[in-house]
Amino acid sequence: MPADRTTPPRFFTRLFERFCKQNLYDELQGDLEEEFYLNLEEFGIARARKLYRREVLKMLRPSVVKKIRNQPTYYNHTAMFRNYSIVAFRNLSRNRLFSAINIIGLAISMAVGLIAITFVSEIYSYDNFHDNRDRLFRVVSNLHRTNGNVTEYATASVFAGNRLANDFAGFEAVAPLTKGFRGEMRKGESSIAIQGIYANNDFFKVLSFQLLAGNSGSALTEPNSVILTETAAQKLFDRSDVVGEIIEWKDQTPYKITGVLKDPPSNSHLKFDAIASLKTLEEKNISTVTDFGVIWASHVYVLLPENYDLQQIQTNLDKLAEEENPKLKYWQLSLGLERFDDIFPSTGKANQFSTVMPKEKVTSIVVLALIVLFSACFNYTNLSLARSLKRSKEIGVRKVVGAGKTHLFLQFIIEAILVAVIAVIISYGLFQLIKPEFLALDFYIQRTTTLDLQPINYLYFFLFAVAIGILAGLFPSLLMTRFKPVNILKGVSVKTSKGVGLRKVLVGIQFALSMGFATLVTMTYKQYKYALNFDLGFTTENILNVEVQSNTPEVLKSQFQAVPEVAGVSSASIMPSTGNSMSNFVKYKNPLDSVTAYTMDIGPDYLTNMGHQLLAGPGFEKEGTGDRAIVNELFLKEIGINKSSEAIGEQISFYNKTWMITGVVKDFHYGTIKNELEPFIFTMGRQDHYYLNVKLKTNDITATMNRLESAWKEVDNVHPFEARFYDDWLQDTYSDMNASLKTFGLLSGVAICISILGLLGMAVYNAESRLKELAIRKVLGATLSSLMLLLSRSFMGIFILSACVAIPLAYYIYEETIVSTAVYKINIGFWELASGALLIVAVALLTISSQTMKAARSNPAESLRNE
Amino acid sequence: MKGTHLGEFQEIILLTILVLDDDAYGVTIKREINQRVKRSISRGALHTALTRLEEKGFITSEQAEGSPERGGRPKRYYTVSNRGIEAIQEAKALRDQLWSQIPKLRLQHPYAG
Repeated sequence: MPADRTTPPRFFTRLFERFCKQNLYDELQGDLEEEFYLNLEEFGIARARKLYRREVLKMLRPSVVKKIRNQPTYYNHTAMFRNYSIVAFRNLSRNRLFSAINIIGLAISMAVGLIAITFVSEIYSYDNFHDNRDRLFRVVSNLHRTNGNVTEYATASVFAGNRLANDFAGFEAVAPLTKGFRGEMRKGESSIAIQGIYANNDFFKVLSFQLLAGNSGSALTEPNSVILTETAAQKLFDRSDVVGEIIEWKDQTPYKITGVLKDPPSNSHLKFDAIASLKTLEEKNISTVTDFGVIWASHVYVLLPENYDLQQIQTNLDKLAEEENPKLKYWQLSLGLERFDDIFPSTGKANQFSTVMPKEKVTSIVVLALIVLFSACFNYTNLSLARSLKRSKEIGVRKVVGAGKTHLFLQFIIEAILVAVIAVIISYGLFQLIKPEFLALDFYIQRTTTLDLQPINYLYFFLFAVAIGILAGLFPSLLMTRFKPVNILKGVSVKTSKGVGLRKVLVGIQFALSMGFATLVTMTYKQYKYALNFDLGFTTENILNVEVQSNTPEVLKSQFQAVPEVAGVSSASIMPSTGNSMSNFVKYKNPLDSVTAYTMDIGPDYLTNMGHQLLAGPGFEKEGTGDRAIVNELFLKEIGINKSSEAIGEQISFYNKTWMITGVVKDFHYGTIKNELEPFIFTMGRQDHYYLNVKLKTNDITATMNRLESAWKEVDNVHPFEARFYDDWLQDTYSDMNASLKTFGLLSGVAICISILGLLGMAVYNAESRLKELAIRKVLGATLSSLMLLLSRSFMGIFILSACVAIPLAYYIYEETIVSTAVYKINIGFWELASGALLIVAVALLTISSQTMKAARSNPAESLRNE
Repeated sequence: MKGTHLGEFQEIILLTILVLDDDAYGVTIKREINQRVKRSISRGALHTALTRLEEKGFITSEQAEGSPERGGRPKRYYTVSNRGIEAIQEAKALRDQLWSQIPKLRLQHPYAG
């Protein structure tokens, strides 16, 4: 209680002071007080205070209460924004060079950003056409081998699917399906190649594929019924109302068409041309549908009821595995559920339905794009900071006239957004240019993405531009709004020391990035070239490998030999150094000891044709007898024979047979650069040959290829002629490295462009702002070279520091990712590490010196004359 | 709101100011109205009405030095402008006219008819 009870309640007085308009307060408070004292005399203290309180509360009305903001509330927003954009455009056109640097730099990096946005939005739009996606799951299997190895498979057996559907509760619908409905479908004269699946009617309950014709409840009930996609039907019949027609499978089994399906969308991970009824397989009673352990090409998709209980279902899956596992001899299975959303992109499970984008790939593309984007934002930040002094007068005047911090901040952010929006328009053009390059970049991207723009993408692009504008403009805007108008207008130069430090850091990061990418590219390129030119121990030059397909190799061979440009033809089961391999345990004398040797079956002329060097023995006879073997030196070493000639005639056993060694070849590389040299055995007459190796001697490749193709047609008129030069094939074998090379190449190009642009801007600004200083130095006798040194010196430190950070990091990344699995790699020396960085420094110095030269050469009288 | 319409409450205030003559400021106007009209109005409501009247140009005001009983705070004295006088006269004329139109009988026997 206040001591003096004869005053108005203090709290209410204060409250009133708080909310009352400033210009009214004195009068109104006076009136209230005067009345209070009158009331006090008339009614006494309690009533007076009560009245006072009521009076104050009744003051709460629009005409008395102060407005929330102390300023005038009405702004002419349109005019203000118009002014901002006019000023922004004037600024852009006044500093053409800086604007160009900013816009081009941003545009280049934003093109990469647009690619990333389109890519990611496409990847995450996969499978989004299914209803009930939150309740869709796929049953997956873990395969436990007896040696303790576990492999995760994306598959589960049809048998498991059927048992889940029939014997277990907790599923709304279970759709087992299996691949392998593959081959030629005929209708009279026309035929098409089909890649299809077997499924049952529940397929349509679980997954949202639409039937255009036919009954989804019964289309797959009967054996030998098939649903064609619209495209397949069109190809086969030239029309799509084909329900009820009979078509023929390659072995002349008739299939009845019971439905026509809308084509699976391009963003479906399930893609197929036709669905045959699972009953077809079930009638044949083959292991694909009857065995719990045959999981390889079958998938089980399940729809769970609402309010599903994952734990309960997992218990059921475990129970099923427990019941069925005793039937499996070589391995055990455990089952699990995978969310439908986790199928694409995925985290490496074996045997996916189709190519699935690895999650790491998506992440790495996003990360790389972000790095490039940040680099470009740094440019904007840097140049704006550097030039903020020039705009200080404008800021001062604006502040004096009444602009608050928010207004100025908004203005600079709008400017940055404007630049970003202009840049995004240019980058859209660049995006179209690099799109095909990106799509060709690697296997996964080629197989799964189209980068077709959806309308929503344009919105993303715009938002992206705004975000980039805000990001780039944030720091300079904050800094510039802090300028004190008094200082600016008085002419006191504003201290920007904080900005200078930051600028150096940003330039440093940019250069570290460029150098890192450049070093990575240099090393990857050398390693790639090394892999391609790697001396395999046999020749691959001018060798054309032809796929035999379903023909007899000998017939084809004689056909090809008739072509004049052919120097030799041989045949082989597989082609070495392309990533394919076969191996077996080989025993010699001691039946308890064995050597793992890789094997390959060849035709008679193979060794001479491929330029293998026979060290001892007669080699193979013309006709394979199936019991002769040619081994390599390493194999001899493994089994303990020292002289090649001693090996001839020795008996070894593998593939459950005894073989006689009739030759020894010089070691050669059977695997890729990822494999060591291994013991090796050539056999003859053991396996079918899938490839013919045609050695060509020609100057006119096209004519020769045409001749070879017509020779092929003599033998096989159905299948197309499939031939590939060995060297091209080897190149494909290293395509993952090629993809990294292209990615890093592209990114380093972008990063270098951006950093050099930024540097150019900084150099120009530096030279301009120190023009007077340079002139005075020159008058006092400084030489051109000393001036150039003065101007470049500050950059040199940055370069050295960023090289120190970038090169070890690049080396680390190279070792960890690109050559992590390679056994044979290049020696990394000084030049591999430093050449990228040196090149960049050279270009950078050239850029700087072009500017400093201009400044240093200018006539001092010119720059000193005006003050 | 800047019409020339004169509300009932505003009319009372204008008349009160005229009655008070030289001594019309917040407290006195309020007290006068409270006593004569027998209705309790708040200072806030009065303020709003005064502001409206001033906006319409019916009254003018000027600030004057305060007295000790109000903590030395300034007062605002109100005077009715010529327009204000016109307005209440008009209002009065309208009413008089209406009064004169009412048949005598009705007045004497309010419950008739």
